[in-house]
Amino acid sequence: MAEKDISIIHPRPSSIVAALYTLRDLNVDVAILHGPPGCSFKHARLLEEDGIHVVTTALDENGFVFGGREELSTLLGKVNEMFNPKLIGIVGTCVSMIIGEELSEPVKDANLDVPVICVEVHAGYPNNTKGVLIALESACDAGVITDEELERQKVLLKEATNVEKRHGAASKEYLVPSRGDLKYKVAEKIINYLKEGKKCLTIMNAKKETGYMFADITVAINEVAEQLGVSDNVINMANVDDTLGLPRVRHHAISIMNDFREKGIEIHEIIGGMDEYPVTGEKVSELIAEKYSDFDFAVITGVPHAIPMDNLQNMDVISVTNGPRQVHPLKDMGHSNVIVEIDLHPKTLGVSNIVESEFGATMREVVKDMQKTEEA
Amino acid sequence: MEQKRIAIYGKGGIGKSSTASNVAAACADEGYKVMIIGCDPKSDSSITLLGGKRIPTILDLLRQKIDVKEEDIVFDGYKGVKCVEVGGPEPGIGCAGRGIIVAIQRLKKVCKSIDDMDLIIYDVPGDIVCGGFVAPIRKGLVNEAYILTSGEYMPLYAANNICKGLAKIDTPLSGIICNSRSVTREEEIVRKFSEEIGSKLMAFIPKEQIVQDCERDGFSVLEKAPDSSVAGVYRELAHAIMSNDSSVLPSSLEDERLRELTR
Repeated sequence: MAEKDISIIHPRPSSIVAALYTLRDLNVDVAILHGPPGCSFKHARLLEEDGIHVVTTALDENGFVFGGREELSTLLGKVNEMFNPKLIGIVGTCVSMIIGEELSEPVKDANLDVPVICVEVHAGYPNNTKGVLIALESACDAGVITDEELERQKVLLKEATNVEKRHGAASKEYLVPSRGDLKYKVAEKIINYLKEGKKCLTIMNAKKETGYMFADITVAINEVAEQLGVSDNVINMANVDDTLGLPRVRHHAISIMNDFREKGIEIHEIIGGMDEYPVTGEKVSELIAEKYSDFDFAVITGVPHAIPMDNLQNMDVISVTNGPRQVHPLKDMGHSNVIVEIDLHPKTLGVSNIVESEFGATMREVVKDMQKTEEA
Repeated sequence: MEQKRIAIYGKGGIGKSSTASNVAAACADEGYKVMIIGCDPKSDSSITLLGGKRIPTILDLLRQKIDVKEEDIVFDGYKGVKCVEVGGPEPGIGCAGRGIIVAIQRLKKVCKSIDDMDLIIYDVPGDIVCGGFVAPIRKGLVNEAYILTSGEYMPLYAANNICKGLAKIDTPLSGIICNSRSVTREEEIVRKFSEEIGSKLMAFIPKEQIVQDCERDGFSVLEKAPDSSVAGVYRELAHAIMSNDSSVLPSSLEDERLRELTR
């Protein structure tokens, strides 16, 4: 083992699942898991909520022994009839890769008039980003994305892996999951800061569709500030550039920006595309140094651990994550409060509007209560 | 010329490694750039091209989690023949088939010189017991297959089975090589077999003690006994392989017919 690699023992996201999500971003209509029936079940179900069909060749003991070439080619024919897809993805599993299944042969056997992306992936890679990479390389081979987009994504994936190693889920051998700080306590703190006239930076640095919920926190803070008459004290940053990334990812940026506009919320600084969360840190740091170094506190949502602390040292930093294992690393970075939006991801699948977050809802209620108390 | 990437199949113990290394040496003598890739966990395909020395295998290094580079796994042997051994797990542990898949993927990734070769020989294990063992063919790395056999029933039975397998995975057969075990009417039997499956006999390698003697010393016949008559046979075989441009999807014989042939 190379000396810098640590032996991580907590369960982490799988490269097979990462490949499935990538196929979803590539807008495949059907993803076929070539392997045992239960493999990646939970995420397969979630992806169905997001509008793609996920099916499995359901290899059994016989399939392990005799291979599943026929099962896969038959299934290809079947899904073609059932769903009339324009693009199909096939994803390997641990079993099919160990027994040496060749995904391209059944595709030839089935002889469909539909492009098929074959992703030879298993879950045995230390970084799940490998699943994304293999899926993108296969998509490039199939002519679904350009070489330029592949190269761009490679840079992002490398940085995403580094972000996780520095302060994320791959930073320690074992990370204890935590539910984070109590939402109403932190909501009270933020409202009091705003009341005191403190200057607030909201930094939404969200990974793709998770932005549909993290954006709600930006919205809630701005609503509260407006009610308190301190709108001018809030500056919003968000990674909602709609000119970057795979088509589906750009669509998320467009939808979220539309909602911001409708709710009258100005995004003062656009810090990158919705797949650029691993590389926005530097830009945020520069912006703070240039314009916002006198701000009192920052609320960072999405992938907060990708934002370096260098220029945030003089601010009170509050962060919102959806990873229970991210709480301790964020506190170690120096964040005074960490909020966890449990089960955020499932709620952001299959939507194209901002969805309410628990923390956003809490802030909205707490400010009402506080104002009632004052009136009384 | 188009790069030749061949695999030599045949029953275990029939002399695949010995034939592969002698053909490699003979082609190197002719000035061809040759690489030999041993895909058998026992990793002795290249030993007679390296003066009897063993080289570290790809899987030995991967086991140690080393970030493998070309110079760690590709070694120059007799007359610059590039030697690679895939290796494998200890017998009875892990999965040798997956090992071959992983090792050749790694080789493909790190080995730049592979593109410059005139001839690449994949020395594959005798028994294709699982998917990994046909990985060189199915990953598109091999474009010609040869089968080595003697005139005995069991090696021919194995050869016949390999023909079935090749047809199943759409891989054409370029020829049959007979490695003699000195049984009666041997050349005739193997020639007949070759024709009946739709292929041809490339060479008849006589059984000669000198092949064994050179191997024991750690050398190919071409290096240690270049003037022997069997060295001439290997040269002819090498020439036949390099100039061979015909291959067929082989058919296979009924067991009854196979028995009749060898009776």
